[in-house]
Amino acid sequence: MPIKLPPGISASTHASAVKELQRVVGSDWVFTSEEDLDTYRDAYSIRWGHEDEYLASAAVAPKSVEEVQAIVRIANKYKIPLYPISTGKNLTYGGSAPTYSGSIVLDLKRMNRVLEVDEKRAFALVEPGCSYFDLYRYVKDKGLKLWIDCPDPGWGSPIGNALEHGVGYTASQFRDHWGAHCGMEVVTPTGEIMRTGMGALPGAKTWQEYKYGVGPHVDGLFAQSNFGIVTKMGFWLMPQPEAWLTGTVNVPKYSDFIPLVDHCNYLEDAMIATGQAIYSSGLGGPQNGAEVQALMANRYPTLAELDAYAEKKGVPAWRVKLQFYGPPEVIQARWEYAQERIAKAIPGATFTNFETLPMPLTEAQEKTHHLVNFGIPNMAIFAGMAREPGVADPKDGHTDFFAVCPRTGEAVFKALKLVYDTQKELGVPLTASPFRGPVTWHHKCFFMGAPPVDSQRNDPAFNRRMRTLYDAYVKKFSDAGFPPYRTNPGAQDLLAAQFSFNDNVLLRFQEALKDGIDPNGILSPGRYGVWPKRLRPKRA
Amino acid sequence: MKTFIAILGATTVLGVVGSAFAADAGQLAMGKERFDYWCDTCHAGDPREAGRFLPGTASLNAKYNGSRPGALVDRTDLLPPYVELVIRKGMEGMPFFRKTEISDTEMKAIAAYLSRNTKQ
Amino acid sequence: MPIKLPPGISAATFAEAVKEFQGAVGADWVFTSEEDLDTYRDAYSISWGHDDEYLASAAVAPDTVEQVQAVVRIANKYKIPVYAISTGKNLTYGGSAPTYSGSVVVDLKRMKRVLKVDDKRNFALVEPGCSYYDLYQHIKDRGLKVWIDCPDPGWGSPIGNALDHGIGYTASPYRDHWGAHCGMEVVLPNGEIMRTGMGASPTSDTWQDYKYAVGPHVDGLFAQGNFGIVTKMGFWLFPQPESWMTGTVHVPKYSDYSALVDHCNYLEDAHLATGQTGYGSNLGGQGVTAAPEYRALMANGWPTIEQLDAYAAQRKVPAWRAKLQFYGPEKAVRASWAYAQRRISAAIPGATFTDIEFSTLPLSPAQEKTHHLVNFGIPNMAIFQIVARPAAGPNNANPYDGHTDFFAVVSRSGSEVFRAMKAVYDIQKELKIDPITATPFSSPVTWHHKVFFMGAGGVGNQRGDAEHNRRMRALYAAYIEKMAAAGFPAYRTNPGAQDLLVKQFSFNDHALLRFQEALKDAVDPNGIISPGRYGIWPKHLRQKKA
Repeated sequence: MPIKLPPGISASTHASAVKELQRVVGSDWVFTSEEDLDTYRDAYSIRWGHEDEYLASAAVAPKSVEEVQAIVRIANKYKIPLYPISTGKNLTYGGSAPTYSGSIVLDLKRMNRVLEVDEKRAFALVEPGCSYFDLYRYVKDKGLKLWIDCPDPGWGSPIGNALEHGVGYTASQFRDHWGAHCGMEVVTPTGEIMRTGMGALPGAKTWQEYKYGVGPHVDGLFAQSNFGIVTKMGFWLMPQPEAWLTGTVNVPKYSDFIPLVDHCNYLEDAMIATGQAIYSSGLGGPQNGAEVQALMANRYPTLAELDAYAEKKGVPAWRVKLQFYGPPEVIQARWEYAQERIAKAIPGATFTNFETLPMPLTEAQEKTHHLVNFGIPNMAIFAGMAREPGVADPKDGHTDFFAVCPRTGEAVFKALKLVYDTQKELGVPLTASPFRGPVTWHHKCFFMGAPPVDSQRNDPAFNRRMRTLYDAYVKKFSDAGFPPYRTNPGAQDLLAAQFSFNDNVLLRFQEALKDGIDPNGILSPGRYGVWPKRLRPKRA
Repeated sequence: MKTFIAILGATTVLGVVGSAFAADAGQLAMGKERFDYWCDTCHAGDPREAGRFLPGTASLNAKYNGSRPGALVDRTDLLPPYVELVIRKGMEGMPFFRKTEISDTEMKAIAAYLSRNTKQ
Repeated sequence: MPIKLPPGISAATFAEAVKEFQGAVGADWVFTSEEDLDTYRDAYSISWGHDDEYLASAAVAPDTVEQVQAVVRIANKYKIPVYAISTGKNLTYGGSAPTYSGSVVVDLKRMKRVLKVDDKRNFALVEPGCSYYDLYQHIKDRGLKVWIDCPDPGWGSPIGNALDHGIGYTASPYRDHWGAHCGMEVVLPNGEIMRTGMGASPTSDTWQDYKYAVGPHVDGLFAQGNFGIVTKMGFWLFPQPESWMTGTVHVPKYSDYSALVDHCNYLEDAHLATGQTGYGSNLGGQGVTAAPEYRALMANGWPTIEQLDAYAAQRKVPAWRAKLQFYGPEKAVRASWAYAQRRISAAIPGATFTDIEFSTLPLSPAQEKTHHLVNFGIPNMAIFQIVARPAAGPNNANPYDGHTDFFAVVSRSGSEVFRAMKAVYDIQKELKIDPITATPFSSPVTWHHKVFFMGAGGVGNQRGDAEHNRRMRALYAAYIEKMAAAGFPAYRTNPGAQDLLVKQFSFNDHALLRFQEALKDAVDPNGIISPGRYGIWPKHLRQKKA
C-alpha cells in the first residue's frame, strides 16, 4: 500500500518532521518504509485492503519520557497527528493501527521497564511497553507473593489494556483493570510531563497507594481517550492467596437462571465468592446444534418453552462455576455457605466439580487449569482462532463485540433474544442461542457477547459485509439498551454517537475539554469519537 | 453572641408577659416529628452508642451539672424565642440550621414542642 | 456582617440578578437578608469574624434540575460566581460557606429524594440534599437488605461527601465514597444537563452498574472540583452481611508495629478482614502526656525506637493493638478470624488476642446502644462528642466554637507511620505549641484500605479570642506546608487552606494544576462555578505564578 500522508500535510513537511524525529530517537527507530509500516497495520482489521483502512504514515519508537516529549513537540510544530500504542496488541479492537490514517504511530514498546513492585503494600509501577508476561516474570523472579490480573492474551500491556477499559479474571477488585490503577505519569499534548494523584507531590511515597491527590481527579480523561500519552502507571495487585477452591452450581430449570444470578451477585458483592463466577449452559453447544436450531425455527422460544426443553433433555439448564481465593478453611466455609444458600433458594440445585488446591499451582497443574484465573499470562485464547476440527479455514481475525448488560437473568435473556432478532433481521447465519452465559469480567455488571465479526484479508467483499454487520450490531444493541463497552476505530464514531443523552452533551463536553488541552489537535484524533476542532464532523 | 444567648437563656419565665407561645395539637405534632428527625440524633434522652448519652445531651449534662435536665425534651423552662435563636445561630459545636433544612414554620413548631411543658 | 457583594459586581446588577433568581426558584427560596445569610457561614470557621471570612452574597435554593439550570444561566448572564452545597454539613472543611466571598450559594438541600435502591444489583441513586439518615431510613422502611456506608456525622450528604473525597467505616470497597460511586448527572457551567457513564446512553439500564461510558471518563473532574453542579449520583451498596466478628490483636513491642501493619495489610487486601482495621496504642490515650514517665521519655526530644521498646516493656502493656473486623456468614468470619490469629501469632512473638465478639446481623436495638454504629452502616452523631463537653475533655469549661481537621496521606507501613508522627511533633515544637499534643502513640486511620491517614489533631476556633485564632491558623498553615514537604500532604482541607495545599503538589512546575486550569477554562469560560475550589481559579481571577 502506498504511504498515507496525514491529510493536509505535504510530503516535504512530513519528510522534515521525520528528519527531526530521527534526530531525537536515532534513525534506527523511525520507520517509514512500506515493509516496516505493514507491521503497524491492524492485523485483524475488517478494513484490510480497503481504501479506508487505517494506516500510519510513519512510526517512531522512543526509549524515554524525554524522547516522548520531544516527539510531541515536533508533532505540534508540524501539526502532524500522533497515535500512541503500548505493546500494540489491541487485537479485535484496532491493533497497532492509528484511528486516523496518516498519523505517526508512537510505539512505546521500548519503554518496557517494571519500575517497582512492593510486596507488602501490594502494588506495581510499570511502563507502557511492559507486557503481562514481563510483569509476571519480574514478580516470579523476585519470589514476590503477588498476583497480576491479566486478560486473555498475555502479551498485552497492563497500561494499554487498562486505558482501553480492558478486563481480567482473578478477584473482583482486580478484574476492572482501569479501576485497579493508582497513579499515572502522562506527557500532555503540549509536551509536558504531568504526574497525577500523589505523584504530583514531590517526596510522596503514596503514588501507588492513594488514587487521588487534591482537586479534580483527571486520570479518567486518559482512558479510551486522546488527552495525553501515558508513560507510567501504577496498579494495585492481589496478594498471592493461600489456596483456591472451585465448585459448580447446577440448576435444573432455564428460568432458575434468574435467582441463580441474584444469589451469585450477593456472593460476589459480599466478598464471599471472591473469584470470577463463570456462567454457562449444559444445553446448547455443538451436540445440540440441530435441536437448538429447531427451537428457534419460527421465533425465539419463550421461557416456558425453554423450561420444557431443559426438562426434556434432563440436563441442568444453567451452571455457574464459583471460585474462591483464600486460606483453605476460610474458602471451604465460604463455599459451604454458598451451597447452603443456593440449595435453600433453588429446588433441585446440585453441586459438582469441586476442587481445591494450595497456591501457587504446580507446573503440572498449570497444564490443566484455566491459567488466567490464577494470574498466569498465556496465549490459550488463540486456540479459538487456530486450526482445529471443524475449523478448516481459520479466519484472519475478527472484531469483538461485548455489550454492557445489567446483572439480572431477565436482562441476559433479553440480550440473548436481541442477538437472534438482529441476525434474523439482517439475514445473516443464525448463530444466536438461548444457551450462552454472560461474561463476568466486571463484577457489578454483565457483558453479553454478540458473535464475533470475522475478517478475511483476501476477500474484501466479505469484509465489507462484515463491516455492515458490525455497525448494525452497534446500532441495534445500543437502541435496545446494550451498547458495547469498547470497539475498534472504524466503529468508534458510531458508538460514541449512541451515548446521545441530551443531544450528545457528554461528547460535546469531552470535545470542549479536548480543545482546552490539545489546541493543535495532534493526539489520536477521533479516538472514541473525540475529534479536535479542526477535524470535527459538522453537526446539524 | 455567646453573651446574648446567655442573657436570653437566663431569662426566667416570670420575665415574659403573656402566653405568646401557646400551641395547637397540629403544631406540636409537627414539632415533635421535626425534633425527632433533626434534633433527636444529638439531643436524645436515652443513652445510645457505647452506652453514652448523645453529644448534645452529654454536653448539656456537663454544662448544667444536675441543675437542669440535659435532655431537651425533659426541660420545663425553655422559651420559643431561645429555641429559635439556637436553631438559627447555633451554639458552640452545634452549627446553625438553614431555612432549607428547618423552615420558619418548622422552627416555630420545634420551639413550641420544646416549650410545651414550660409553665406560663 | 455587611453583605459581601461579588467582587466587580455593582449593587444594581446584583439586585437584577436576585430578581431573576427569584423568578427562577420563587422569592421564598432566595435569601439575601443578613439574618438568613448568617446560616450560610461556616459554623466551624477558623476565620470567624475576621476580614477574610468566607461569606455569601445571597443563597438560592432550587427544587429541580431545571431550576438549577436556570440559576446557572443567570449566573453566567451576570457573571456572578455560584457555590453549590448539598446538605451543607462539611464541618471542619468549610461548612456551607463559599470558597470565594461574594458568591451566591446554591443550596441543594431541597433536592433530597432517594430515587432508586436495588437490593439485588446493590446500588442506590440519590439527589444531593438526601442525607445518610434519609437513605438509611428509606432502606429500613422498605426492608431492603443493603447497607450504606456513612462517615461520622449522619446528617451529611452521600453526594457531597463523595465529592469531597470523604470516607467511611464498613467494608473496604465501600469506604472510599468516591470510589463507590457509579454514574452521575451534572449541570454544566453552561447550564446543560449531562449524564456520565451509562447514563449517557438513553436506552440503557446500567447507569448504576457500569461506571464508564465510552471515551474519556469525566467523572473525576467533579470531585473536589468546580466543573459543574452534581444533581444525581449513584452508589454501589454493601449487601447486608449475615454476621460480624471482631477481635483485637495486641503486640508487645513498639517495634512490632511494622510487622503488625504488614499482616493487617495482607488481611485487608486479600478480603479476609473485610471490615475496617482500628489501630491504637495501649501506651497512648487521655492524660498520657501528663504522666511523669512520659515526660521522662520525651525529656530529650523524640525518642528512638529502642527507647520506645524499653518504655513499653517498663509499662508492661502491649505497645500496639489492631481491632480487626469481619463481615460475612458465621463459619466464614470465624474461619477468617482463626486464620488471622494463627498468621499473626506465627509472625509476632507475644501477640495476644482480646475483645473477641461475634454477632449476627442486623444488630438488635439493645446492641445498637453499645456498638460503634458506623461500622454497621448506621448513621448517627456520636462523633460530636469531641466538640461537646466530653467527660474529661480539655475544653469542658470553654468548648471550641469549631475546628478544622487535618489528615495526612501516609504509606501503609510502620516506618512511615513513625516518620509521620515525628513530623507532627516537630511542627508543634517549632511553633512552640504548649502543650504539645503529638505523641509517639498516634495511630493511623484506615478509612481507605490501601493507604493510611494520620491526623494532626483538630485546630480549634474560639470566636471571642482573635489571638488564639491567629495562633491556630498559623499552626494549621504549618501543618499544610510542612507535612507536605515531608511527603505527607492533607487529603482534604478547608477553603482558607486550599490554595496553599494545592501549591504543594508542585511536580514539574505545577503541571497538574496548569492542566486542570486549562480544562477549567475550556468548560467554564466565565468562571462562575465555585471559583478557587481546591485551588482552581478561573482565568480572570488567577494569580500570577511566582
